[in-house]
Amino acid sequence: MPFLEKFYTTILFLLEGLGVTVSVTVIALAVGFVLGVLMAVLRVYGSRPLAALAAAYSVIVRAVPVVVTIFILYFVIASIINLTPFLAGALALGFASGAYQSEIFRGALQSVAPGQMTAARAIGMSRVQAIRHIILPQAVRLALPGWGNEATLVLKDSTLVFAVGVPEMLRRAQYVSSRTLEPFLAFGTAALLYLVLTMLTTFVLSRVEQRYRLLT
Amino acid sequence: MRKQTVLWALVVIAALLLSGCTAVQPATGGAGQTGSADAAATAAVDEGLLGTIKERGKIIVGTSADYPPYESIDAEGKYVGFDMDLTRAVAEKLGVEVEIQDMPFDSLIAALQEGKIDAVIAAMQSTPERDETVDFSIDYRPTKDAFLGAADSAIELKTGTDAAGYSIGAQTGTVQEGWVQSALVGAGLTPADKAFSYERADQGGLDVANGRIDLLLIDAEPAIALADQLGLKILLITDSTTTAGKAIAIPDGESALKAELDKIIQGLNDDGTILQIEQANNLPDLN
Repeated sequence: MPFLEKFYTTILFLLEGLGVTVSVTVIALAVGFVLGVLMAVLRVYGSRPLAALAAAYSVIVRAVPVVVTIFILYFVIASIINLTPFLAGALALGFASGAYQSEIFRGALQSVAPGQMTAARAIGMSRVQAIRHIILPQAVRLALPGWGNEATLVLKDSTLVFAVGVPEMLRRAQYVSSRTLEPFLAFGTAALLYLVLTMLTTFVLSRVEQRYRLLT
Repeated sequence: MRKQTVLWALVVIAALLLSGCTAVQPATGGAGQTGSADAAATAAVDEGLLGTIKERGKIIVGTSADYPPYESIDAEGKYVGFDMDLTRAVAEKLGVEVEIQDMPFDSLIAALQEGKIDAVIAAMQSTPERDETVDFSIDYRPTKDAFLGAADSAIELKTGTDAAGYSIGAQTGTVQEGWVQSALVGAGLTPADKAFSYERADQGGLDVANGRIDLLLIDAEPAIALADQLGLKILLITDSTTTAGKAIAIPDGESALKAELDKIIQGLNDDGTILQIEQANNLPDLN
Protein backbone atom coordinates (compact mmCIF):
# COMPACT_ATOMS: atom_id res chain seq x y z
CA MET A 1 0.00 0.00 0.00
CA PRO A 2 1.44 3.41 -0.89
CA PHE A 3 2.34 5.65 2.03
CA LEU A 4 -0.44 8.21 1.56
CA GLU A 5 -3.11 5.54 1.52
CA LYS A 6 -1.71 3.94 4.69
CA PHE A 7 -1.53 7.36 6.31
CA TYR A 8 -5.15 8.03 5.36
CA THR A 9 -6.47 4.73 6.75
CA THR A 10 -4.44 5.24 9.92
CA ILE A 11 -5.91 8.72 10.44
CA LEU A 12 -9.43 7.39 9.94
CA PHE A 13 -8.77 4.54 12.39
CA LEU A 14 -7.32 6.90 15.02
CA LEU A 15 -10.13 9.44 14.60
CA GLU A 16 -12.57 6.86 15.98
CA GLY A 17 -10.77 7.38 19.28
CA LEU A 18 -11.02 11.17 19.00
CA GLY A 19 -14.42 11.28 20.70
CA VAL A 20 -13.07 9.44 23.73
CA THR A 21 -9.96 11.63 23.93
CA VAL A 22 -11.92 14.87 23.61
CA SER A 23 -14.71 13.90 26.02
CA VAL A 24 -12.27 12.59 28.63
CA THR A 25 -10.33 15.87 28.34
CA VAL A 26 -13.42 18.09 28.55
CA ILE A 27 -14.86 16.23 31.55
CA ALA A 28 -11.51 16.21 33.34
CA LEU A 29 -10.96 19.93 32.72
CA ALA A 30 -14.48 20.75 33.94
CA VAL A 31 -14.13 18.63 37.09
CA GLY A 32 -10.69 20.08 37.67
CA PHE A 33 -11.97 23.63 37.16
CA VAL A 34 -14.71 23.28 39.76
CA LEU A 35 -12.40 21.53 42.23
CA GLY A 36 -9.52 23.87 41.50
CA VAL A 37 -11.49 27.10 42.00
CA LEU A 38 -13.13 25.74 45.14
CA MET A 39 -9.87 24.56 46.68
CA ALA A 40 -8.04 27.77 45.76
CA VAL A 41 -10.75 29.92 47.39
CA LEU A 42 -10.65 27.72 50.49
CA ARG A 43 -6.91 27.98 50.60
CA VAL A 44 -6.75 31.75 50.31
CA TYR A 45 -9.94 32.82 52.10
CA GLY A 46 -11.04 29.72 54.03
CA SER A 47 -10.80 29.07 57.74
CA ARG A 48 -7.60 27.41 58.90
CA PRO A 49 -8.85 23.78 58.84
CA LEU A 50 -10.44 24.22 55.41
CA ALA A 51 -7.30 25.87 54.05
CA ALA A 52 -5.26 22.99 55.45
CA LEU A 53 -7.58 20.47 53.80
CA ALA A 54 -7.24 22.22 50.45
CA ALA A 55 -3.46 22.37 50.85
CA ALA A 56 -3.31 18.67 51.71
CA TYR A 57 -5.36 17.79 48.61
CA SER A 58 -3.05 19.82 46.42
CA VAL A 59 0.16 18.42 47.91
CA ILE A 60 -0.93 14.78 47.96
CA VAL A 61 -2.53 14.65 44.53
CA ARG A 62 0.38 16.45 42.92
CA ALA A 63 2.82 14.08 44.61
CA VAL A 64 1.17 10.99 43.17
CA PRO A 65 1.68 10.13 39.49
CA VAL A 66 -1.57 10.79 37.62
CA VAL A 67 -1.76 7.24 36.32
CA VAL A 68 -1.63 5.95 39.92
CA THR A 69 -4.43 8.33 40.94
CA ILE A 70 -6.54 7.01 38.06
CA PHE A 71 -5.80 3.43 39.00
CA ILE A 72 -6.63 3.94 42.68
CA LEU A 73 -9.80 5.90 42.03
CA TYR A 74 -11.03 3.32 39.54
CA PHE A 75 -10.41 0.28 41.65
CA VAL A 76 -11.20 1.77 45.05
CA ILE A 77 -14.05 4.17 44.41
CA ALA A 78 -15.61 2.28 41.53
CA SER A 79 -15.86 -0.77 43.78
CA ILE A 80 -18.31 1.23 45.92
CA ILE A 81 -20.20 3.06 43.18
CA ASN A 82 -20.43 1.23 39.88
CA LEU A 83 -18.83 3.56 37.38
CA THR A 84 -17.91 2.75 33.80
CA PRO A 85 -14.16 2.76 33.11
CA PHE A 86 -14.74 5.77 30.89
CA LEU A 87 -16.42 7.84 33.57
CA ALA A 88 -14.10 6.65 36.32
CA GLY A 89 -11.06 7.46 34.22
CA ALA A 90 -12.34 10.90 33.25
CA LEU A 91 -13.34 11.79 36.82
CA ALA A 92 -10.02 10.56 38.20
CA LEU A 93 -8.14 12.64 35.67
CA GLY A 94 -10.28 15.62 36.71
CA PHE A 95 -9.51 14.94 40.36
CA ALA A 96 -5.80 15.01 39.54
CA SER A 97 -6.09 18.10 37.36
CA GLY A 98 -8.02 19.87 40.13
CA ALA A 99 -4.89 19.90 42.27
CA TYR A 100 -2.84 21.57 39.55
CA GLN A 101 -5.67 23.96 38.72
CA SER A 102 -6.03 24.90 42.41
CA GLU A 103 -2.42 26.13 42.32
CA ILE A 104 -3.13 28.16 39.17
CA PHE A 105 -6.19 29.77 40.73
CA ARG A 106 -4.46 30.28 44.08
CA GLY A 107 -1.77 32.28 42.34
CA ALA A 108 -4.42 34.26 40.49
CA LEU A 109 -6.44 34.96 43.66
CA GLN A 110 -3.34 36.19 45.44
CA SER A 111 -2.47 38.54 42.62
CA VAL A 112 -5.77 40.39 42.91
CA ALA A 113 -4.80 43.53 44.84
CA PRO A 114 -5.81 43.27 48.55
CA GLY A 115 -7.42 46.71 48.28
CA GLN A 116 -10.18 45.13 46.17
CA MET A 117 -11.38 43.07 49.12
CA THR A 118 -11.11 46.01 51.49
CA ALA A 119 -13.08 48.22 49.13
CA ALA A 120 -15.78 45.58 48.60
CA ARG A 121 -16.16 45.13 52.34
CA ALA A 122 -16.29 48.90 52.82
CA ILE A 123 -19.32 49.21 50.54
CA GLY A 124 -21.11 46.59 52.61
CA MET A 125 -20.48 43.32 50.76
CA SER A 126 -20.04 40.16 52.78
CA ARG A 127 -16.79 38.22 52.32
CA VAL A 128 -18.57 35.61 50.19
CA GLN A 129 -20.18 38.31 48.05
CA ALA A 130 -16.83 40.04 47.65
CA ILE A 131 -15.13 36.81 46.59
CA ARG A 132 -17.92 35.97 44.18
CA HIS A 133 -18.46 39.35 42.57
CA ILE A 134 -15.14 41.16 42.94
CA ILE A 135 -12.24 38.78 43.48
CA LEU A 136 -13.09 35.69 41.41
CA PRO A 137 -14.07 37.46 38.17
CA GLN A 138 -10.65 39.12 38.20
CA ALA A 139 -8.80 36.01 39.36
CA VAL A 140 -10.30 33.74 36.70
CA ARG A 141 -9.17 36.21 34.03
CA LEU A 142 -5.68 36.32 35.50
CA ALA A 143 -5.62 32.51 35.63
CA LEU A 144 -6.44 32.03 31.95
CA PRO A 145 -2.88 31.83 30.53
CA GLY A 146 -1.84 29.27 33.13
CA TRP A 147 -5.10 27.42 32.73
CA GLY A 148 -4.56 27.15 28.98
CA ASN A 149 -1.29 25.43 29.67
CA GLU A 150 -3.01 23.00 32.04
CA ALA A 151 -5.62 22.30 29.34
CA THR A 152 -2.94 21.11 26.92
CA LEU A 153 -1.40 18.96 29.67
CA VAL A 154 -4.74 17.34 30.48
CA LEU A 155 -5.27 16.65 26.78
CA LYS A 156 -2.08 14.62 26.78
CA ASP A 157 -2.78 13.04 30.17
CA SER A 158 -6.04 11.76 28.71
CA THR A 159 -3.90 8.99 27.23
CA LEU A 160 -3.44 7.66 30.78
CA VAL A 161 -7.05 6.56 31.15
CA PHE A 162 -6.20 3.48 29.12
CA ALA A 163 -4.71 2.14 32.37
CA VAL A 164 -8.27 1.29 33.39
CA GLY A 165 -9.33 0.09 29.95
CA VAL A 166 -10.53 3.13 28.02
CA PRO A 167 -9.13 2.80 24.51
CA GLU A 168 -8.51 6.45 23.59
CA MET A 169 -6.62 7.73 20.57
CA LEU A 170 -3.11 6.71 21.59
CA ARG A 171 -4.26 3.15 22.35
CA ARG A 172 -5.69 3.00 18.87
CA ALA A 173 -2.26 4.01 17.58
CA GLN A 174 -0.85 1.06 19.55
CA TYR A 175 -3.38 -1.23 17.84
CA VAL A 176 -2.12 -0.01 14.47
CA SER A 177 1.50 -0.36 15.55
CA SER A 178 1.12 -3.93 16.78
CA ARG A 179 -0.93 -4.92 13.74
CA THR A 180 1.23 -3.34 11.05
CA LEU A 181 4.56 -3.13 12.90
CA GLU A 182 4.93 0.39 11.59
CA PRO A 183 5.25 2.42 14.79
CA PHE A 184 6.45 5.57 13.04
CA LEU A 185 3.33 5.71 10.93
CA ALA A 186 1.03 4.89 13.86
CA PHE A 187 2.57 7.19 16.46
CA GLY A 188 3.53 9.87 13.96
CA THR A 189 -0.10 10.13 12.90
CA ALA A 190 -1.15 10.24 16.56
CA ALA A 191 1.40 12.99 17.22
CA LEU A 192 -0.03 15.00 14.35
CA LEU A 193 -3.58 14.66 15.68
CA TYR A 194 -2.49 15.71 19.18
CA LEU A 195 -0.66 18.68 17.70
CA VAL A 196 -3.81 19.77 15.87
CA LEU A 197 -5.90 19.34 19.03
CA THR A 198 -3.40 21.31 21.10
CA MET A 199 -3.25 24.12 18.52
CA LEU A 200 -7.05 24.29 18.46
CA THR A 201 -7.21 24.45 22.25
CA THR A 202 -4.55 27.14 22.38
CA PHE A 203 -6.29 29.14 19.66
CA VAL A 204 -9.70 29.05 21.34
CA LEU A 205 -8.24 29.93 24.72
CA SER A 206 -6.20 32.82 23.38
CA ARG A 207 -9.40 34.24 21.91
CA VAL A 208 -11.12 33.85 25.28
CA GLU A 209 -8.10 35.52 26.91
CA GLN A 210 -8.35 38.51 24.57
CA ARG A 211 -12.07 38.79 25.07
CA TYR A 212 -11.88 38.84 28.86
CA ARG A 213 -8.56 40.63 29.29
CA LEU A 214 -8.43 42.99 32.27
CA LEU A 215 -7.82 46.59 31.24
CA THR A 216 -5.01 47.78 33.43
CA MET B 1 -21.31 43.13 34.76
CA ARG B 2 -22.06 41.23 31.55
CA LYS B 3 -18.63 39.72 31.39
CA GLN B 4 -18.93 38.54 34.96
CA THR B 5 -22.18 36.85 34.11
CA VAL B 6 -20.51 35.08 31.20
CA LEU B 7 -17.67 33.89 33.42
CA TRP B 8 -20.10 32.55 35.97
CA ALA B 9 -22.07 30.91 33.22
CA LEU B 10 -18.88 29.04 32.35
CA VAL B 11 -18.73 27.68 35.88
CA VAL B 12 -22.35 26.60 35.65
CA ILE B 13 -21.72 24.93 32.29
CA ALA B 14 -18.80 23.08 33.81
CA ALA B 15 -21.04 21.86 36.62
CA LEU B 16 -23.75 20.85 34.15
CA LEU B 17 -21.22 18.94 32.11
CA LEU B 18 -20.39 17.00 35.21
CA SER B 19 -23.94 16.05 36.00
CA GLY B 20 -24.66 15.33 32.35
CA CYS B 21 -21.59 13.30 31.65
CA THR B 22 -23.17 10.05 32.78
CA ALA B 23 -24.87 10.10 29.40
CA VAL B 24 -21.57 10.25 27.51
CA GLN B 25 -20.49 6.87 26.31
CA PRO B 26 -17.16 6.14 24.65
CA ALA B 27 -17.46 5.29 20.99
CA THR B 28 -15.33 2.17 21.09
CA GLY B 29 -15.56 -1.16 19.40
CA GLY B 30 -16.68 -3.75 21.88
CA ALA B 31 -15.39 -2.13 25.05
CA GLY B 32 -18.11 -0.68 27.18
CA GLN B 33 -19.45 -0.53 30.63
CA THR B 34 -18.96 -3.13 33.26
CA GLY B 35 -22.46 -4.24 33.99
CA SER B 36 -24.02 -4.08 37.41
CA ALA B 37 -24.53 -7.50 38.85
CA ASP B 38 -26.15 -6.66 42.16
CA ALA B 39 -29.53 -8.06 41.21
CA ALA B 40 -28.04 -11.19 39.79
CA ALA B 41 -25.74 -11.78 42.74
CA THR B 42 -28.52 -12.68 45.16
CA ALA B 43 -30.15 -15.05 42.71
CA ALA B 44 -26.94 -16.93 42.17
CA VAL B 45 -25.48 -17.65 45.57
CA ASP B 46 -24.78 -21.31 44.82
CA GLU B 47 -22.89 -20.90 41.59
CA GLY B 48 -21.10 -17.66 42.51
CA LEU B 49 -19.76 -15.76 39.52
CA LEU B 50 -20.97 -18.44 37.09
CA GLY B 51 -24.53 -17.77 38.23
CA THR B 52 -23.98 -14.02 37.88
CA ILE B 53 -22.72 -14.44 34.33
CA LYS B 54 -25.68 -16.61 33.33
CA GLU B 55 -28.13 -14.28 35.04
CA ARG B 56 -26.62 -11.30 33.21
CA GLY B 57 -26.52 -13.25 29.94
CA LYS B 58 -23.07 -11.88 29.24
CA ILE B 59 -19.49 -12.69 30.16
CA ILE B 60 -17.05 -9.79 30.41
CA VAL B 61 -13.61 -10.92 29.31
CA GLY B 62 -10.49 -8.83 29.78
CA THR B 63 -7.66 -8.94 27.31
CA SER B 64 -4.76 -6.83 26.11
CA ALA B 65 -5.29 -6.48 22.40
CA ASP B 66 -1.77 -5.81 21.19
CA TYR B 67 -0.50 -9.36 20.99
CA PRO B 68 -1.10 -10.90 17.58
CA PRO B 69 -1.78 -13.69 16.72
CA TYR B 70 -3.46 -14.19 20.11
CA GLU B 71 -5.32 -10.90 20.36
CA SER B 72 -5.32 -7.74 18.33
CA ILE B 73 -7.67 -5.25 16.70
CA ASP B 74 -8.15 -5.39 12.96
CA ALA B 75 -8.61 -2.43 10.61
CA GLU B 76 -12.38 -2.51 11.22
CA GLY B 77 -11.83 -2.21 14.97
CA LYS B 78 -12.87 -5.81 15.68
CA TYR B 79 -11.16 -8.08 18.19
CA VAL B 80 -9.39 -10.85 16.32
CA GLY B 81 -6.94 -13.66 17.07
CA PHE B 82 -6.81 -17.09 18.63
CA ASP B 83 -7.84 -15.99 22.13
CA MET B 84 -10.73 -13.94 20.79
CA ASP B 85 -12.07 -16.88 18.77
CA LEU B 86 -11.63 -19.07 21.85
CA THR B 87 -13.48 -16.48 23.94
CA ARG B 88 -16.42 -16.56 21.55
CA ALA B 89 -16.43 -20.37 21.48
CA VAL B 90 -16.41 -20.53 25.29
CA ALA B 91 -19.20 -17.96 25.55
CA GLU B 92 -21.26 -19.91 23.05
CA LYS B 93 -20.90 -23.05 25.16
CA LEU B 94 -21.87 -21.05 28.25
CA GLY B 95 -24.87 -19.78 26.32
CA VAL B 96 -24.07 -16.12 26.97
CA GLU B 97 -23.07 -13.04 25.02
CA VAL B 98 -19.49 -11.83 25.22
CA GLU B 99 -18.13 -8.40 25.97
CA ILE B 100 -14.41 -7.88 25.51
CA GLN B 101 -12.65 -5.25 27.59
CA ASP B 102 -9.24 -4.10 26.42
CA MET B 103 -6.73 -2.92 29.03
CA PRO B 104 -3.00 -3.01 29.71
CA PHE B 105 -1.76 -6.53 30.51
CA ASP B 106 -0.57 -5.26 33.91
CA SER B 107 -4.09 -4.12 34.84
CA LEU B 108 -5.83 -7.41 34.03
CA ILE B 109 -5.29 -9.22 37.34
CA ALA B 110 -6.30 -6.14 39.36
CA ALA B 111 -9.44 -5.72 37.26
CA LEU B 112 -10.26 -9.40 37.80
CA GLN B 113 -9.78 -9.15 41.56
CA GLU B 114 -11.96 -6.04 41.75
CA GLY B 115 -14.74 -7.73 39.80
CA LYS B 116 -14.48 -5.38 36.82
CA ILE B 117 -14.14 -8.36 34.51
CA ASP B 118 -15.24 -12.00 34.86
CA ALA B 119 -12.28 -13.67 33.21
CA VAL B 120 -8.96 -12.96 31.54
CA ILE B 121 -8.19 -14.55 28.19
CA ALA B 122 -4.93 -12.93 27.13
CA ALA B 123 -2.41 -15.70 26.43
CA MET B 124 -1.85 -15.62 30.19
CA GLN B 125 0.25 -18.41 31.66
CA SER B 126 -1.01 -20.14 34.78
CA THR B 127 2.12 -19.62 36.85
CA PRO B 128 2.22 -20.50 40.58
CA GLU B 129 2.72 -16.80 41.45
CA ARG B 130 -0.44 -15.76 39.65
CA ASP B 131 -2.30 -18.78 40.98
CA GLU B 132 -1.92 -17.33 44.47
CA THR B 133 -4.12 -14.34 43.63
CA VAL B 134 -6.44 -15.74 40.96
CA ASP B 135 -7.68 -19.14 39.81
CA PHE B 136 -6.98 -20.73 36.45
CA SER B 137 -8.87 -23.09 34.19
CA ILE B 138 -7.01 -26.05 32.72
CA ASP B 139 -4.51 -25.01 30.05
CA TYR B 140 -5.96 -24.43 26.61
CA ARG B 141 -2.58 -24.34 24.94
CA PRO B 142 1.00 -25.21 25.92
CA THR B 143 3.63 -22.47 26.03
CA LYS B 144 6.90 -22.29 24.22
CA ASP B 145 9.18 -19.30 24.20
CA ALA B 146 11.34 -17.97 21.43
CA PHE B 147 14.57 -16.02 21.49
CA LEU B 148 14.75 -13.51 18.65
CA GLY B 149 17.91 -11.93 17.32
CA ALA B 150 18.79 -9.60 14.47
CA ALA B 151 18.84 -11.10 10.98
CA ASP B 152 22.65 -11.23 10.99
CA SER B 153 22.95 -12.35 14.60
CA ALA B 154 25.78 -14.83 15.24
CA ILE B 155 24.53 -15.81 18.69
CA GLU B 156 23.99 -19.55 19.11
CA LEU B 157 21.61 -20.83 21.74
CA LYS B 158 21.01 -24.44 22.77
CA THR B 159 19.03 -23.69 25.89
CA GLY B 160 17.63 -20.62 27.65
CA THR B 161 20.58 -19.97 29.91
CA ASP B 162 22.92 -19.72 26.91
CA ALA B 163 21.51 -16.18 26.66
CA ALA B 164 23.70 -15.27 29.64
CA GLY B 165 25.58 -12.02 29.23
CA TYR B 166 23.74 -10.76 26.16
CA SER B 167 21.46 -7.74 26.42
CA ILE B 168 17.95 -9.10 26.43
CA GLY B 169 14.43 -7.72 26.34
CA ALA B 170 11.03 -9.03 27.44
CA GLN B 171 7.50 -7.67 27.77
CA THR B 172 6.56 -6.02 31.09
CA GLY B 173 4.57 -8.21 33.45
CA THR B 174 5.08 -11.39 31.43
CA VAL B 175 6.44 -14.72 32.58
CA GLN B 176 9.36 -14.27 30.19
CA GLU B 177 10.33 -11.07 31.97
CA GLY B 178 10.19 -12.97 35.26
CA TRP B 179 12.44 -15.67 33.82
CA VAL B 180 14.99 -13.09 32.62
CA GLN B 181 15.01 -11.50 36.06
CA SER B 182 15.35 -14.74 38.04
CA ALA B 183 17.25 -17.16 35.79
CA LEU B 184 19.61 -14.64 34.18
CA VAL B 185 19.88 -11.49 36.33
CA GLY B 186 19.07 -13.13 39.69
CA ALA B 187 21.52 -15.96 39.02
CA GLY B 188 24.25 -13.44 38.22
CA LEU B 189 24.56 -14.57 34.58
CA THR B 190 23.48 -11.25 33.08
CA PRO B 191 24.12 -7.81 34.58
CA ALA B 192 20.90 -6.05 35.58
CA ASP B 193 21.53 -3.16 33.21
CA LYS B 194 21.44 -5.53 30.24
CA ALA B 195 17.89 -6.71 30.93
CA PHE B 196 15.21 -4.51 29.34
CA SER B 197 11.45 -4.44 29.70
CA TYR B 198 9.05 -3.30 27.02
CA GLU B 199 5.44 -2.24 27.29
CA ARG B 200 4.70 -4.13 24.09
CA ALA B 201 6.47 -6.99 22.33
CA ASP B 202 6.74 -5.13 19.02
CA GLN B 203 8.78 -2.36 20.67
CA GLY B 204 11.29 -4.99 21.78
CA GLY B 205 11.29 -6.46 18.29
CA LEU B 206 12.15 -3.08 16.79
CA ASP B 207 14.99 -2.62 19.26
CA VAL B 208 16.40 -5.99 18.23
CA ALA B 209 16.08 -5.02 14.57
CA ASN B 210 17.81 -1.69 15.29
CA GLY B 211 20.59 -3.41 17.22
CA ARG B 212 19.82 -1.76 20.57
CA ILE B 213 19.50 -5.16 22.24
CA ASP B 214 20.86 -8.58 21.29
CA LEU B 215 17.89 -10.78 22.17
CA LEU B 216 14.17 -10.65 22.77
CA LEU B 217 12.43 -13.38 24.75
CA ILE B 218 8.70 -13.70 24.10
CA ASP B 219 6.03 -16.30 23.44
CA ALA B 220 6.83 -18.43 20.40
CA GLU B 221 3.77 -17.51 18.31
CA PRO B 222 4.03 -13.71 18.36
CA ALA B 223 7.77 -14.23 17.94
CA ILE B 224 7.20 -16.04 14.66
CA ALA B 225 4.93 -13.26 13.41
CA LEU B 226 7.32 -10.57 14.63
CA ALA B 227 10.34 -12.28 13.05
CA ASP B 228 8.44 -12.52 9.79
CA GLN B 229 7.40 -8.88 9.73
CA LEU B 230 10.65 -7.34 10.99
CA GLY B 231 13.05 -9.75 9.34
CA LEU B 232 14.44 -11.08 12.61
CA LYS B 233 16.08 -14.46 13.21
CA ILE B 234 14.49 -17.05 15.48
CA LEU B 235 17.49 -18.28 17.44
CA LEU B 236 15.73 -20.84 19.63
CA ILE B 237 12.25 -22.13 20.35
CA THR B 238 12.23 -23.80 23.72
CA ASP B 239 10.23 -24.82 26.75
CA SER B 240 13.31 -24.55 28.99
CA THR B 241 12.16 -21.07 30.00
CA THR B 242 8.50 -21.89 30.57
CA THR B 243 6.72 -23.29 33.57
CA ALA B 244 3.06 -23.23 32.64
CA GLY B 245 0.60 -23.34 29.77
CA LYS B 246 -1.92 -20.69 28.80
CA ALA B 247 -5.19 -20.74 30.68
CA ILE B 248 -8.24 -18.63 31.44
CA ALA B 249 -7.86 -16.64 34.66
CA ILE B 250 -10.90 -16.17 36.89
CA PRO B 251 -11.33 -14.64 40.36
CA ASP B 252 -10.00 -16.65 43.28
CA GLY B 253 -12.33 -19.28 44.73
CA GLU B 254 -14.89 -19.39 41.89
CA SER B 255 -15.01 -23.18 41.83
CA ALA B 256 -18.30 -23.50 39.94
CA LEU B 257 -17.01 -21.26 37.14
CA LYS B 258 -13.70 -23.11 37.05
CA ALA B 259 -15.44 -26.49 36.79
CA GLU B 260 -17.61 -25.21 33.95
CA LEU B 261 -14.68 -23.66 32.06
CA ASP B 262 -12.55 -26.79 32.51
CA LYS B 263 -15.37 -28.86 31.06
CA ILE B 264 -15.82 -26.47 28.13
CA ILE B 265 -12.09 -26.32 27.29
CA GLN B 266 -11.82 -30.11 27.47
CA GLY B 267 -14.82 -30.34 25.16
CA LEU B 268 -13.42 -27.78 22.68
CA ASN B 269 -10.15 -29.71 22.69
CA ASP B 270 -11.81 -33.09 22.14
CA ASP B 271 -14.12 -31.99 19.35
CA GLY B 272 -11.26 -30.30 17.44
CA THR B 273 -12.53 -26.72 17.84
CA ILE B 274 -9.28 -25.54 19.40
CA LEU B 275 -7.22 -27.13 16.60
CA GLN B 276 -9.52 -25.47 14.09
CA ILE B 277 -9.12 -21.97 15.55
CA GLU B 278 -5.37 -22.54 15.87
CA GLN B 279 -5.26 -23.17 12.15
CA ALA B 280 -7.60 -20.29 11.38
CA ASN B 281 -5.18 -17.94 13.17
CA ASN B 282 -2.02 -19.56 11.73
CA LEU B 283 -0.80 -20.81 15.08
CA PRO B 284 1.83 -23.54 14.88
CA ASP B 285 1.11 -26.83 16.64
CA LEU B 286 3.33 -26.82 19.74
CA ASN B 287 2.51 -30.25 21.10
